[in-house]
Amino acid sequence: MFVATVITVGIVTSSQLVTERIGLLLDRQASELLAADMVIVSSAEFDPAYRQAARQRGLQVSSSVSLRTAIFVDDDPRLVELKAVDDAYPLRGRLERAREVAGERSVSSEIPARGEVWVDTKLAQLVDQSLSLGETSFDTRWLLTFEPDRGGAIFNLAPRVLMNIADMPATGLVVPGSRVRYRMMFAGEQGDINRFKIWLTENLKPGEEVQDLENARPEMRQALERTRKFFALAIVLTLVIAMAAIAITARYTASREAPKVAMLRAFGISQKNLFRYYLKQLGGLWIAATIAGIAVGWVTQFPLQWALDGWFGRTLPQVYSLKPYFFAGLVGLLALAGFSLPYLINATATPPMQVLRTAVNRRSWLRGLLITGSAVVAIFGVLVLLMQSSMLAVATLAMVLVCAFALPLILGWMVKLLLFSSQRRFWLRQYLLSRLQASSRGAIYVMSGFSLVLIAILLIAVVKDELLGSWQEQLPEDIPNYFLINIRSDDIAAVGAYMQQHGIEASTPYALARARLTQINSIDVDEIDFLHPRADNMVRHTFNITHASEIPDQNEIVAGEWLDPDDPRGQLSVEQGMADRLELEIGDELTLTVGSKTLRAAVTSIRTVVWENFKPNFYLIANPGLLADLPQTGLLSALIEEQNKADLRRLLQRFPSITLLDITELMARVRNIVDKASVALQFFFLFALASALIVLLAAIQTGRHEREIESALLRALSAHTNQLYRVHVLEFTLMGALIGFFSACFATVAAWLISVQFFNIEFHFSASVWAYSLLSSCLVLTIAGIMVSRRVYNVSPMKILRS
Amino acid sequence: MAEDNLCIALNQVGKFVDTPDGKLDIVNNISLDVKYQEAVVIKGASGSGKTTLLGLMAGLDQASAGEVFLFGENLAGKSEEQRSAIRSGRVGFVFQSFHLVQGATAIQNVMLPLELSGVDGAHDQAQQSLHQVGLESKTDTLVEHLSGGEQQRVAIARAFAVKPRVLFADEPTGNLDATTGRQIADLMFHLRDQSGTTLVLVTHEGELLERGDRQILIESGRLLNGAAA
Repeated sequence: MFVATVITVGIVTSSQLVTERIGLLLDRQASELLAADMVIVSSAEFDPAYRQAARQRGLQVSSSVSLRTAIFVDDDPRLVELKAVDDAYPLRGRLERAREVAGERSVSSEIPARGEVWVDTKLAQLVDQSLSLGETSFDTRWLLTFEPDRGGAIFNLAPRVLMNIADMPATGLVVPGSRVRYRMMFAGEQGDINRFKIWLTENLKPGEEVQDLENARPEMRQALERTRKFFALAIVLTLVIAMAAIAITARYTASREAPKVAMLRAFGISQKNLFRYYLKQLGGLWIAATIAGIAVGWVTQFPLQWALDGWFGRTLPQVYSLKPYFFAGLVGLLALAGFSLPYLINATATPPMQVLRTAVNRRSWLRGLLITGSAVVAIFGVLVLLMQSSMLAVATLAMVLVCAFALPLILGWMVKLLLFSSQRRFWLRQYLLSRLQASSRGAIYVMSGFSLVLIAILLIAVVKDELLGSWQEQLPEDIPNYFLINIRSDDIAAVGAYMQQHGIEASTPYALARARLTQINSIDVDEIDFLHPRADNMVRHTFNITHASEIPDQNEIVAGEWLDPDDPRGQLSVEQGMADRLELEIGDELTLTVGSKTLRAAVTSIRTVVWENFKPNFYLIANPGLLADLPQTGLLSALIEEQNKADLRRLLQRFPSITLLDITELMARVRNIVDKASVALQFFFLFALASALIVLLAAIQTGRHEREIESALLRALSAHTNQLYRVHVLEFTLMGALIGFFSACFATVAAWLISVQFFNIEFHFSASVWAYSLLSSCLVLTIAGIMVSRRVYNVSPMKILRS
Repeated sequence: MAEDNLCIALNQVGKFVDTPDGKLDIVNNISLDVKYQEAVVIKGASGSGKTTLLGLMAGLDQASAGEVFLFGENLAGKSEEQRSAIRSGRVGFVFQSFHLVQGATAIQNVMLPLELSGVDGAHDQAQQSLHQVGLESKTDTLVEHLSGGEQQRVAIARAFAVKPRVLFADEPTGNLDATTGRQIADLMFHLRDQSGTTLVLVTHEGELLERGDRQILIESGRLLNGAAA
């Protein structure tokens, strides 16, 4: 029990430390999309106190100013997004530049020097020319091929011009009334950032807002959230295994303690005193196991760090928080209390008459309920503690419980069926099966425990190989690599036709308007207290709203009905995440402001969106009638292969308002996250295997004494050692086959539930799960059988019989 | 109501269990009194019900019929915990299979019930008790390293350490050779004489039978003689 608890605490410590570190790394990579760990934006200049306060907290600070202005290209006026940055920019991520559009890209550690600008590839013709910005002329030295914080409102981008912030005053572009966007970026250790964020939130002025990944990149957020869910699930399944080890060892300990308890109760020691006595022992065990487990967990993170560093290509950031250790101790306590206390309570109720006669310990339904209830509370507590999504926790708990309850019944029934299915002619078979049934529910419980462990391992394997594989399939190689944005509404149809004519694979063109949510059911959103922490963030920002008569690809209605094109009333289809955060339901009326106009429409459907598919995705889709007469621009995504580049150039010449957005880099980042998730899950798989070994050892230990006595007796009665050896090994192999079969059944059902219900990933039946389950179970248990038998036959029969 | 000078009183006590073939009587209609400081030996063939009778007298088991009085208290209708409280500090046990805690030393075994009863100075009392049984040199030895006779001595030390008013012994010499058995019996009766403890002893060993103040013969769950003190 001590070893099992050490393992549990060790797993939690190590997995918490590593997931926190991976999480930090992922956050940091995500931060690269913001070019910082945290950003504040405003249309007015920031109070210099912010910079000062950030520096005092050890943070790096960078500032940028951006605004839209017109430049002249070949005497044509073009709207550009001018951004002026300081030397510290970018705090996270990197700039990439090239001399020509198809030229080699190089990472730059510098920003444009004073007097020079770098321009978007769309403005390639300006390279090595002079460019007038306001009252100053600049040399155009480089094409800007990548900047990390290209911005959340990707569909509204005009071509970028990047300059040094020191040159900005000279341009005279920033004057009172000009639409300038100020950004102040911060980077540093997570703890410092968190503390600064608290301070900043309290000191922000009206019009200033904190920008994070949530409003910057929904596709990245979804990828990260999914990764975290994968991690959490893997950890929980690993913990289930460790807790199964505690339960098996606790049961064993309790059964060993029963004679002692009977003796003490015969002496008149009350149950209360006995319980207190065991509680004290358990407390001591918890303290010792927590210390040892934390040490084990802390040490094991280093080889893991070494392994993961290699795979991740960079060092995992350090975690300085005590949270992982605290969680580990708490989980150890919950697991120990939840799984062993009920058994000990049961043990303290051993009838004293057992000292005179080995009576059956009368197990009342109340005590059975206590054991089950306590285990349920323990598992649930651990799941809620460690998992973000409580629904996933409840579902995992339900599955674990179904397995835990069903397995002993099914396995017991199966053995009985085999035992009595034919006449008792073949003694070996009968002896073998009666061995499984005997000792008796003990063997069944050990089989169930081992089966539960195998199911958990299979599920981790399914998550690791099958679910991640399916997720990767959602990111096929031929997904769009360009967005064409700012298409004038008059040109939308013509652009679509052009794409079709030149055989370029493109999405349906969508007309976009920028909308802000102002009221829900005629109540101002400012007056609503949303429960979800991200809800406020959502209502502060504008959304892209589009109209469509058909539901977009990979969107799925989960509530209500898709927009009715014949219904003239305003209708909205809302993305599920947005509906959850804003607590929207079918029939709710939303008030939206688009430009100077106000729209009212009812929510008629809620749909899921696969943000990572890089197709045009929307929080809000309206029926076509709702957005008529509103200012709109067009958007489509396209897969543009090398041979189509010339067609694309001609298209851009024909429709000069279009901005081209290359999302290859972003796509690569999401793919990278998926790959990293896969590597990290390998690690949890190893942990699961390690704890499974403990379960196996615990299981072996459970029946050892009985086996020793039995074999000593049989040997004393002239049974051949080889004969008994074969029977024992066969017994374990048969056990393995039964366990393998049922584990594969349960794992398949559970994997289907998890993938469809919680990860929204298509489920594929996996024959390999069955093969692994049957083979590994038979193999492992046969080896265990050999180990057990060797030990049993090494013990002198005389010693056993005398004892 | 039991008389004040009676340590144990049984009044038409029966114990039966339900089996697939119907009700099975293990002990039937037994009435029996045991006075304080008396040494009563229960004898009978295997399966005659003598161990069940001992369990009923000690309140380890509940009678199916009749009344059992221990220290003047009627055990009928009392829960296991209530019966346990009646025994606490007043009852000692010695078993055929010793029932020692493996992995613990001799002194730890003797101390365990004392500590759990909240007795002050449990260590000294345990040491004294081990001294009385002649095991003062083996106090810190693990019980599994002791011989059978020594293990039973530890069990006797444990039983007498609580200074019981009654000691129940179930075949205390059954697992020992004749010589060791005799030594154990001498020890038990010697301690009983010293402390004035009531002794209820189940055995089929001739020598032990002779040493009791009274013999009770039980056959097929019925008392054949020796009911009255």
